[in-house]
Amino acid sequence: MRSQHDSETILDRALTAANTPEADATFISTDQNISRFANSGVHQNMSEISAALTLRVIVDGCMGVASTSSFDDEGIANAALLAHEAAKHAGPLLNFSGLYRGNEPTPLLNTFDPKTAAVSPIAKARALREMFDRGRDAGVHFAGSYATGGSSVACANTHGVRRYATMSSADATVIAIRGGESGYATSLARHFDDVDVRALGDEATFKATLKAGVADDLQPGAFDVILEPPALAEVLEWLNMIAFSGSSFDDGSSFFVNHLGEKLLGENFTLVDDSTDDSFMPFPFDLEGLPKRRVALIERGVIRTPVVDKAYADRLALEPTANTWHLGSSDHGVAFHLAMEGGDATREELIRSTKHGIWVTRFNYVNGLLEPRIAQMTGTTRDGTFLIRDGEVVARLPNLRWTESMVEAFGRIEGLTSERRRVGTWFNHFGGTLAPTVKIGGWNFTGKQELAGA
Amino acid sequence: MKPSRAQLGDVLASLKDPALRYADVRFTATHHQDVRVRNGEVDNLSSDVDRAIGVRVLVGNGWGFAASSDVSEESLRLTAQRALEVAEASNIASTETVTLSELEPHVATWSSTYDIDPWSIPLEKKIDHILGATDPIRGDARIHQVTGDLSSYRQEKLFASTAGSWLEQTTTEMGGGIEVNAIHDGEFQRRTYPNPFGGDFQAAGWEFIERLDLPSKALLVRDEAIALLTAPKAPAGRFDLIVGSSQLALQVHESCGHPTELDRAMGLEISLAGGSFLQPSMLGNFRYGSELVNIVADATLPGAIGSFGFDDDGVPAQRFHLIDKGMFVGYLTGRDTAPSIGRKSNGTVRAESAARIPIIRMTNINLEPGTTPLADIIADTKRGIFIDTNKSWSIDDLRLNFQFGCEVAWEIENGRLGRLLRNPLYTGTTPDFWRSCDAVADRASWQVWGLPNCGKGDPMQTMRVAHGAPAARFRNVEMG
Repeated sequence: MRSQHDSETILDRALTAANTPEADATFISTDQNISRFANSGVHQNMSEISAALTLRVIVDGCMGVASTSSFDDEGIANAALLAHEAAKHAGPLLNFSGLYRGNEPTPLLNTFDPKTAAVSPIAKARALREMFDRGRDAGVHFAGSYATGGSSVACANTHGVRRYATMSSADATVIAIRGGESGYATSLARHFDDVDVRALGDEATFKATLKAGVADDLQPGAFDVILEPPALAEVLEWLNMIAFSGSSFDDGSSFFVNHLGEKLLGENFTLVDDSTDDSFMPFPFDLEGLPKRRVALIERGVIRTPVVDKAYADRLALEPTANTWHLGSSDHGVAFHLAMEGGDATREELIRSTKHGIWVTRFNYVNGLLEPRIAQMTGTTRDGTFLIRDGEVVARLPNLRWTESMVEAFGRIEGLTSERRRVGTWFNHFGGTLAPTVKIGGWNFTGKQELAGA
Repeated sequence: MKPSRAQLGDVLASLKDPALRYADVRFTATHHQDVRVRNGEVDNLSSDVDRAIGVRVLVGNGWGFAASSDVSEESLRLTAQRALEVAEASNIASTETVTLSELEPHVATWSSTYDIDPWSIPLEKKIDHILGATDPIRGDARIHQVTGDLSSYRQEKLFASTAGSWLEQTTTEMGGGIEVNAIHDGEFQRRTYPNPFGGDFQAAGWEFIERLDLPSKALLVRDEAIALLTAPKAPAGRFDLIVGSSQLALQVHESCGHPTELDRAMGLEISLAGGSFLQPSMLGNFRYGSELVNIVADATLPGAIGSFGFDDDGVPAQRFHLIDKGMFVGYLTGRDTAPSIGRKSNGTVRAESAARIPIIRMTNINLEPGTTPLADIIADTKRGIFIDTNKSWSIDDLRLNFQFGCEVAWEIENGRLGRLLRNPLYTGTTPDFWRSCDAVADRASWQVWGLPNCGKGDPMQTMRVAHGAPAARFRNVEMG
């Protein structure tokens, strides 16, 4: 991780090399360690120190972007040359009022824990070894990953905006396996102490062994479903791409189009982008330097706003939402801190209230491109799918395929837990998803995992 | 900027651990240049140069890997020491004995070929070309957005290992495509050429973009996008399905390429991407498909983006069967996985860059062509659907239950293509689907499709792979 002084020096050199009245740059450095394990043994273990500079120039209203991992004079000069070459051939940004000038204060947040950034691979290996040993006693073996690290994030522009923050993260996923049955648990936090892999191992083991050997089967159809946070998070991540981004709003594929201010989803569905919540994955600014704030995307079922970068805020005449996480990105805004409001139930209450339904731990390989205008998605379940009858979990089910419109499904939420959990994802290094467990009526299951005639 | 052979050799020599069994060091310089136009304007122009070093060690039975974007000599030395420290940690929590398959040392240089260097083409010419291809599509009120993409990619790679290998490889690629979004009366349709998500990709230069002939396809793409707005919805039910080359390439990718990765079958990738229904006990005795189904892995195919000279274990590129006359006969393997099935590595281990751990990746996974002309297969189909160009993909964690949505389909009635159909999707179970294959079209419909975005690993690694596929017919497939 680079210091504020080092980061700002590199940014200043980049802005000088840009040699234009309007330019901005980001410099991100990361030290991370990822331990992957399978069959209760660490099989991949990596340590990475990386840094990247991205420079954007605006020339006569036209934008060009270049990135490099070489920060000597030649590397920075080359990046500036490439950015200028790109801007020279680009078309002018529509209605662009220029790079961010506000320089308002950013929220004071607890983004960094030195202990988390510095935890050693050996300390993690010892914790994993303990989890493996406990699993052996329970008759399960484990697969998963355990990542820790720290990053410095800096951005600056030619209008005097200067931002610098450090952030730490710990992220673990654990799958417990016994025979053909498995369970899953995951956790994400800014603080290492909030991610206890041994506890995750116990939780995954509970799911892997619950109703072990008691299997049932179902014909495809509509069932009440209880979705745990990892399942919900994958759906919300897809909505990010197909509905919430500036580009999906602009290209006409988002279900937000022509519906701002309209109630399309249920009264009990509220989704915000919020990196100012210290209990989530706090971060104070976006990479254009705008201060982060809580932005409601969907409020009590009413469509509020897509998330946008500065260029698309101007283009679409929307309020800036501070959602740039890579300069020049084609998504033109993405919500990296999705937080869904919870309710007042517990998971056990949701199960007890279900006459005939399915309890889902997580989804696999969701795809949201079927019919984006209704957010129709498909995916399968995995690592713990259970049948509920008369309020009791009675059997394990095979992994099931489902196909469902999220616009419709989020109008059928019958209950939400007050407890919410943080879930990470591979493409989001700044935040994650904060979600409750929800009960949704009439979820459309369309098939199942089976190997006939093997 | 680029380490010398002597410097990489010094790094290997600096690894002082009595339990060291193997080590390699890699350097990569990866160049991307992307041009995107949108509705007659340049929407995005970006250039990226990424340099990285990575050191991998096997100490006892613990692997250690360390990487850095600082490629200086000092950083190389420190990175090597960190790799040893990581391996020490792995040994605390490793439980299995690592066996590496045999390897001959190689000293070689390999490059993909091109006629016209992508970086020799001025940006202005690239922009003019893609604007010229997309401009004719605009003008109809139903056409909401037209985009065009051109991508240039080059990766230079150095590899040195304690097995005695020294390898220099360079891959150069180009890709391009166009996409049309049409909207009318609340209906949204997207049509692309030649493929979605940036188009098609080859290990080639500017000549590939010229061969794509994007300008001549533009109006057809526009007309189909508009026609799809009012086309009847594809029916649900069971149909004989002819899958076009482009979609079948992705079917091969998802339902054959991934499940034949041995690391998946061994459970090594289960936490993120999942496992595989194809278990080692099924090798040689499991009927994966009909006798017409022959699928090969071919890392030697010229022009395909899954080709290379040597993998990131230093094993030479190879061609071999995964599925032979419908029988499951092979896995994609690496040096540390192949011994578990009593075989030698067949050279499929790659990393996105030197900053990532090499893992088993698809190369070019190809469905071999059959002998029947596509026109004859259509003529021989009484009632069916012809489907092509992927829109949506999903498959379960063992690669059994899949569902694919496509951009376009046509009815087949009495051996003739009929009405255009919108929003087609089909679903099934991998072996049932491939066993229902009763016709594979000949080489005239066989095409190699480049997919530069195959995701696997943690941290996620995006790999460049390709698939050759003809059209083929599958009986009694569930649609809708």
